[in-house]
Amino acid sequence: MKNVVIAGYLRSPFDVAHRGDLTKVRPDDLAAHVIKGLLERTGVNKDDIENLIVGCANPEAEQGFNMGRYLVFLSGLPVKTGGMTINRWCGSSMQAIHMACGDIQMGAGEAFVCAGVESMSRVPIVGYNPSPNPQLAEDWPKTYWSMGLTAEEVAKQYQVPRKEQEKFALRSHEKAEAAHQAGRFEDEILPVETPDSGTVSKDGAIRPNTSLEKLADLKPAFVEKGTVTAGTSSPLTDGASAVLVTTEDYAGKNGLTPLVRIKSIAGTGLEPEIMGMGPVEATRKALDRAGLKIGDIDIMEINEAFASQSIACLRELGFPEEKANLDGGAIALGHPLGASGARITGKAASVLKREGGKYAVSTMCIGGGQGMATVMEAV
Amino acid sequence: MKIEKAAVIGAGVMGSGIAAHFANAGIPVVLLDIVPRDLEDGGDRSKIARDAIAKLLKTDPAPLMHKRNARLITPGNIDDDLEMLKDADWIVEAIIERADIKRGLYEKLEKVRAKDSVVSSNTSTIPLHMLTDDMPESFRKSFIITHYFNPPRYLRLLEIVPGEAREDAVKAVADFADRRLGKTVIMCHDTPGFIANRIGTMWIQAAVDAAFDLGVTVEEADAIAGRPMGVPKTGIFGLLDLVGIDLIPHVGSSLQENVPEGDPFKPMYKEHDRMRTMIDAGYTGRKGKGGFYRLNREGGKKVKEAIDLETGDYAPADRKPGIAAVEASKKDGLRGLLSVGDKYSDYAWQIIANTYSYSALLVPEIVDTIHDVDRAMKLGYNWKKGPFEMIDEMGAAWFADKLRADGRDVPPLLEKVRDGKFYRVTGGQLQYFGTDGEYHNIKRKDGVLRLEDIKRAGAPLASNKGASVWDIGEGVLCLEFHSKMNSIDPDILTMLETAIDLAETRYKALVIHNEADNFSVGANIGLALFAANMGMWPAIESMVAAGQQAYRKLKFAKVPVVGAPSGMALGGGCEVLLHCAAIQAHSETYAGLVEAGVGLVPGWGGCKEYLLRQQAEPKALKPAPMGPMPAASKAFELISTAEVARSADQAREMKILRDDDEITMNRDRLLFDARAKALALAEGYQPPEPAMLRLPGPSGKAAFRLSVNEFAARGLATPYDTVVADQLATVLSGGDTDVTEETPEDRITTLEHRAFMALMRDSRTLDRMSHMINKGKPLRN
Repeated sequence: MKNVVIAGYLRSPFDVAHRGDLTKVRPDDLAAHVIKGLLERTGVNKDDIENLIVGCANPEAEQGFNMGRYLVFLSGLPVKTGGMTINRWCGSSMQAIHMACGDIQMGAGEAFVCAGVESMSRVPIVGYNPSPNPQLAEDWPKTYWSMGLTAEEVAKQYQVPRKEQEKFALRSHEKAEAAHQAGRFEDEILPVETPDSGTVSKDGAIRPNTSLEKLADLKPAFVEKGTVTAGTSSPLTDGASAVLVTTEDYAGKNGLTPLVRIKSIAGTGLEPEIMGMGPVEATRKALDRAGLKIGDIDIMEINEAFASQSIACLRELGFPEEKANLDGGAIALGHPLGASGARITGKAASVLKREGGKYAVSTMCIGGGQGMATVMEAV
Repeated sequence: MKIEKAAVIGAGVMGSGIAAHFANAGIPVVLLDIVPRDLEDGGDRSKIARDAIAKLLKTDPAPLMHKRNARLITPGNIDDDLEMLKDADWIVEAIIERADIKRGLYEKLEKVRAKDSVVSSNTSTIPLHMLTDDMPESFRKSFIITHYFNPPRYLRLLEIVPGEAREDAVKAVADFADRRLGKTVIMCHDTPGFIANRIGTMWIQAAVDAAFDLGVTVEEADAIAGRPMGVPKTGIFGLLDLVGIDLIPHVGSSLQENVPEGDPFKPMYKEHDRMRTMIDAGYTGRKGKGGFYRLNREGGKKVKEAIDLETGDYAPADRKPGIAAVEASKKDGLRGLLSVGDKYSDYAWQIIANTYSYSALLVPEIVDTIHDVDRAMKLGYNWKKGPFEMIDEMGAAWFADKLRADGRDVPPLLEKVRDGKFYRVTGGQLQYFGTDGEYHNIKRKDGVLRLEDIKRAGAPLASNKGASVWDIGEGVLCLEFHSKMNSIDPDILTMLETAIDLAETRYKALVIHNEADNFSVGANIGLALFAANMGMWPAIESMVAAGQQAYRKLKFAKVPVVGAPSGMALGGGCEVLLHCAAIQAHSETYAGLVEAGVGLVPGWGGCKEYLLRQQAEPKALKPAPMGPMPAASKAFELISTAEVARSADQAREMKILRDDDEITMNRDRLLFDARAKALALAEGYQPPEPAMLRLPGPSGKAAFRLSVNEFAARGLATPYDTVVADQLATVLSGGDTDVTEETPEDRITTLEHRAFMALMRDSRTLDRMSHMINKGKPLRN
């Protein structure tokens, strides 16, 4: 087995879809901008990039045409670099990283750009032509449930009361705002020029003024008498992210600075109606493969699709919330579906480096009933 | 001069409403108000105007015809932003009713405004000369009064006092108000209260005084002073609650002060103690704690209560006071109302005697003609008929005799008309009685064509109980609906086919138009419900088939058919429009396919036409999403939620109006514009070819069903909504079609027919229908 490292992480600011400052930016342009930035900042030799893998949950319209290949041109990579688009919904760009790891192990390249992007302003969440399989919709309607319903189901099955969800959401905003104030996002956010809003350099979804009172005032968003609100859900978001994945050997020889070594990876499936619980089994599986226990993990980035599922997963895994999402999570930062996997993995890597410690995990739930996890170790 | 940019100073209800209506006309407008007095450092100095614009977006009924129009309004403040007025062609002042403050503002305006701009005041009480005396000539030559009625978008009257202003300036404003703002402009003399408020204030005073004097209750007063007199059902006290009771002493005392000596209003005006007590206690009407009526919400229930004028106590309102005079009026009109000889007839008489004779007394003091008085009261106060039309209904001589018998003076004009009428028809031409004792033709402006004139002058080419066909000149026919509420029934369907046959054989084009309040409220569901309750399924089947056949004939007619709606065009009425070759809509058109509200799907081709419209590429090429779902989804969203456009502009956004369809702001110009459109289309007209649609089939239906289930989970759809939506989903997804196939348009009407009949056989649909008929609102079962 070769050692695989993450040798760089960068993202665009994330902003709320439809109302935010990135609404007018094409997703391919946004992704290309971040990839270019990553190439520049890491100083990697472009000729060595074997493949550009981009994750996207709705690869159609401006995100269509095998966007990965076109991003090769848009981001100034050489023509000989391959390009592909991968869809595993919310897990898309974590899957991009996992595929690079696999390719490396097969000797199919030494350096990969693993990116993710989603413009939820410009391409609707289920695409323009949602065409579910009628028979499946009849036989197993839960496979097509909207994510909000699954969040309610998790809250019910795992008994996560509304108040607890709201406290969790509030902490996410508080942590994100504190990180922003302390300049802890400056290294990871690449400012973006927009056609109509000038230069955007800050995440737009953080609500520093929210409070338990305000959150308590919101109506349930998905089920009339439910517990999940817009305040305890991640918002529709526009954003892009990218990490550079190489062999440890290549990084050493080419003067790159590895953030972490990738120790193990995993993906799982589970009942679609509780898709939010996907991180539990995925994390256990990845830890097992790394020969670790949950107690060995110092840092976790868990994608906050919803407060209900984040709380339930942490509880099931027995992982303390204080060590998760130190700079806030998707409830405050946003969840541009295709971009979140690379963000939380790049983020876990850089936080592990910043905070010290031995192991980090990034993990996320995926619509349709899946989970993914990546275990990393300090270098 | 041309009006291409406007400004409004004063961002209160009237000022911001006027600004909104300029935006509705599609021109940029600056809205200024003062800098807030309690402004903190660094605060927004234009906050008042900015807040007013934000409020426009939330007000119901909406002052804006489309939310995007708000972007045409630029907020500012008088201290910093007067420069913004330098290129405004028309500046409307709508600030506090104080001559000194207004004049102070005008002096500032003189320094910045363009030389040839017009300044107008929206004052409702201050005579023009008090605003212009001693002002420089340049100002006097540019100043007029333009008096709007609240709400400015909806009330069609605009009173103009031209004063000494330049002729071209007055003409430009009047023309803009007519064509672009859709107003009926009436030129008034410079007298207090102009026309409508002068007479309206007398009317209010007479009705309130008489209620106190005769011991008539609030509910009884409104029952008498409302519908029987051609007045909206708010009557008198309901109206005061609506406009604000605190306004009354203000307007009344101002009028009392300004009317000339000898005017009957001068000695008559008084403030009633009861009203003063109410105002002081905050009972100013709907905007306050309550008024003559209030909604008592104690105990969780809403109970409408009315005040006892004597004691000031509230008690549950008597919704239907049984009054013999009111019953008598249903048969014999005003004479019936006055015939009973009890206090209620007497109450009606006090109002009629005072108001109508005051109106007769004021011509020509306030305006040149009686016709203008009638128009002003109809358009400014929403009366069905004006005072002179009402006198004609009673008989002028009969009215004069009754005045004499009551010891009252008979106004000279009433003496003069003697046993004649104020209006007569000669040779098909409507004439009014002039102050010179002669009859004069009522002339329509260029570009105005009224069906009522055509009907007066001749006979229809064909007619039955539901509709008639008229020759409106230049080779064009007009199909007029005239069933109850213009609901579509077999008579209308028959006449529609007759009209098309006639037009195809002898005419160039057909216009579908009527001058009722509403174009059509939809199919006659009473008829369908009756048939269903009797189990007459074949009759219902044939009603669906007949409608589909008639509308199909309409769509493929060999001559162009132009739909010219105003008011509601719902359900089957909307489907008529959807099948027309073109639409010329009045700006106040409220169209939508609302069948889901009564548990049905559009059954006369509405689903099919909606799909075709949603599928059509817009002219200005936007990045149109491809594939079969977007059009079907949009149609599903709009029909399943029974969405109704709140203006013609919104109807265009919903694609009920296509890119080539046009909007007329002034209702009086609608038929003329529609005829012109029809004639333009008639040149080399080719009927459309039957269309093919690309639809998603069962997978689209699955997507719709999933989304409806989520709506139900959120509590936004009832159990039966999901059943109706499921039938609609079948139709709009194209049934069992496949995405690789094209579906002919007639296939969709077959699916409609099937879905319609399936729902008709469900008792929950019948429950919805009967609820709508009896309660006037949808049942949420």
